[in-house]
Amino acid sequence: MTTGAGIYFDGQTSVRQDVGVALGASGLEIAGRDGRLLAQWPYDQIEGLAAPDSVLRLGRRGSAALERLEITDTQFAAIIDARALHVDRTGLRQRRQRIRVIGWSVAATASLLLVAWFGVPAIAERLAPLLPAGIERKLGEAVDMQVRTLLDNRRLGAGFECGSQDSEKPGRAAFDKLMQKLQTAADLPLPVRGIVVRRTEANAMALPGGQIYVFRGLIEKAATADEVAGVIAHELGHVAHRDGSKAVLQAGGLSFLFGMLLGDFVGGGAVVLAAKSVLQSSYSREAEAAADAYGTALMNKAGGNARALASMLEKIGGATEPGMQILLDHPETKARIAAINRLAAERPAEPMLDAEEWAALKRICAG
Amino acid sequence: MRMTSLEASATAAHGAIRFLGTRRAYWRLLVRGALLLIVTLGIYRFWLATDVRRFLWANTEVAGETLEYTGTPFELLIGFLMAITILVPVYAGFFLGALGLGTIGQLSGVIAFAALAVLGQYAVYRARRYRLTRTIYRGLRFHQGGSASAYALRAVLWWLATALTLGLAYPFQLASLERYKMRNTYYGDIAGHFAGSGLRLLWRGLPMWLMVFAPLALTVGAFVMAVDWKALGDALGAGSDDVMSRIEGGNPQLAGVIVFAMLMAGTAVTLAALLYPAFQALVLRWWSSGLSFGELSVTSTLRMRHVYGAYVRFLWYGLLFCIAMAVLGAVGLVAVGLLAGSGPTGAAGEIAATGLLLIGYVIMALGFSTIYRATVLLSLWQLGMESLQLSGLSALDRVKAGGTPSSALGEGLADALNVGGY
Repeated sequence: MTTGAGIYFDGQTSVRQDVGVALGASGLEIAGRDGRLLAQWPYDQIEGLAAPDSVLRLGRRGSAALERLEITDTQFAAIIDARALHVDRTGLRQRRQRIRVIGWSVAATASLLLVAWFGVPAIAERLAPLLPAGIERKLGEAVDMQVRTLLDNRRLGAGFECGSQDSEKPGRAAFDKLMQKLQTAADLPLPVRGIVVRRTEANAMALPGGQIYVFRGLIEKAATADEVAGVIAHELGHVAHRDGSKAVLQAGGLSFLFGMLLGDFVGGGAVVLAAKSVLQSSYSREAEAAADAYGTALMNKAGGNARALASMLEKIGGATEPGMQILLDHPETKARIAAINRLAAERPAEPMLDAEEWAALKRICAG
Repeated sequence: MRMTSLEASATAAHGAIRFLGTRRAYWRLLVRGALLLIVTLGIYRFWLATDVRRFLWANTEVAGETLEYTGTPFELLIGFLMAITILVPVYAGFFLGALGLGTIGQLSGVIAFAALAVLGQYAVYRARRYRLTRTIYRGLRFHQGGSASAYALRAVLWWLATALTLGLAYPFQLASLERYKMRNTYYGDIAGHFAGSGLRLLWRGLPMWLMVFAPLALTVGAFVMAVDWKALGDALGAGSDDVMSRIEGGNPQLAGVIVFAMLMAGTAVTLAALLYPAFQALVLRWWSSGLSFGELSVTSTLRMRHVYGAYVRFLWYGLLFCIAMAVLGAVGLVAVGLLAGSGPTGAAGEIAATGLLLIGYVIMALGFSTIYRATVLLSLWQLGMESLQLSGLSALDRVKAGGTPSSALGEGLADALNVGGY
């Protein structure tokens, strides 16, 4: 079969022409009903185009005009397919191209994960110390607002912060004294503000810019003032190491990597959030160890009992930050406790607060 | 549903538009695409979008000739990269602005929202241009003139009006924006035109609007009646910490009204969900009946029950999918439980659990979007097309070529900003 029927559009007008198509030596010859030659298409310039399964639709590669030739005879279509280089009815070439795309995007994924795992923390690590104090304070304020809305779930009534009512004032004074002792020993370049908040969990947290929250649950669970001081010293370690700012930079970097570059296919936003929380919990392990070391050294220097941090850690199951739920029997917490006890100096004679002050601190959220 | 397509095909014989594709082929295309989306973390979406359009266009036959989509995945990929180039500095600017001092810092969220809203509409218009210039029919290109910025401004102002009028301006918004789009749309050298009347759509849609908003209005009325405004003012004026209990004390009926409000809100949401397919059918029929190209004009005979049929199939497949996922999830949990008994615990286990949850979430989201595309979206395309009656077809015989292909920047922006269409 060297000739067949087709439908031809010349790309200039919408006129539909019934044509005869002949297989020439070097290309297709398209002739009108009257035998007039309409077009000659060299085989290497013919390309197959998207069409329903029953039609072979051909065009000319690189042609500005959208000339189209449609063949409905399956046998004749197969013959043209065999001769024309760029007609790909079986989809083989397309499949190959797609496999290449999949290969490259898997590689891109791997590189992205590597950057997220190693690159982003490394960048945050180096960038955080360079942040000017003003910007860090701003960051802290922004984070503070979010944290407050997250944590502040009490009924309207008593304030979120403890120590503002008359019956709580002595407790506040004791707490301030404890903070003052630790701050003097720490000698940080930026002012630190510590407050006790009405939350029942035994926890504490440090925000960027030197804001420290101690939860009332922690003070209730503590046996001595030194245990509270130990946890505050640990948080001061986070402030000194600028871990809060690092976390914000990391979160920003990760959401940029996953959110922007990948775009948002269905539910991508949730994927980003989950990925971030997984990655960030892994960052914080080293930060915790460093804050422990700092806290222990600070307690030694401030004349407190550094082992109190270890005993407090044992009580609260290693979770010094909200959301960090590492069980006590986990080797990691045991290793932390052992490391603190290794670094701790001999127990001093005097506790950080006297009995009266400690009793007042215990009642800081009583109002 | 087979019944439906037969019915619709029968009307198509003289309506001159047929859909040739099979559901099976479309399902295959979408399921394969969803799997590859997971493997490639979403990069495959450019290929999937192109496949979907090729399929829909190529299988839509108008007056004996099928449409052709000539866009390529690489164009979409490049468009996306261009969009990133524009958006990254914009995002970085907003991030820095949020840290900035004073009013600029506080307003940066609002400014960012407004800027992205305008940019989103800009993207919508340019993406439409890309799709039109990649649509070939009888060897001629569709194309679109007009200014994307002018359109974006118009669209954002209209959205504002629609929001302020609780949706009553929406028909006029649709009509106005569609007029702008269509008078800048060309097939070869013939210009498009949109004649749909916003007032007519408002008139037809008003019963639905009333059904959704009546319960809400009742709620507001009940509040006005029940609340003792003086007591409320006193409670707020007292400035005490315990405002809530004072408000409750001053208004014994308030609890009842709140229960009533919740019931009414539930009613409104349910009605809105139930009426949505009818609304969609109404808008689709109104919209397509307003379209014309030169002497070629269109009327639509779309039936509401067919659209409801599509949603019923969506719910049915969704239910089957949920059951399958529940079974798989149970098996997975048991397997994880067995592994966790012997394997690492604590942090590693936590990460593994989060990872599994993540995968489960992605599969659920992709599964539902696939089912939605294969049922509702495909049916809307097919029903929308096959219900059209064309008149003045002879206008198609003497069209001359015009227009050039445009860049895919708009598609990229629409993709990055999540405002994409088909």
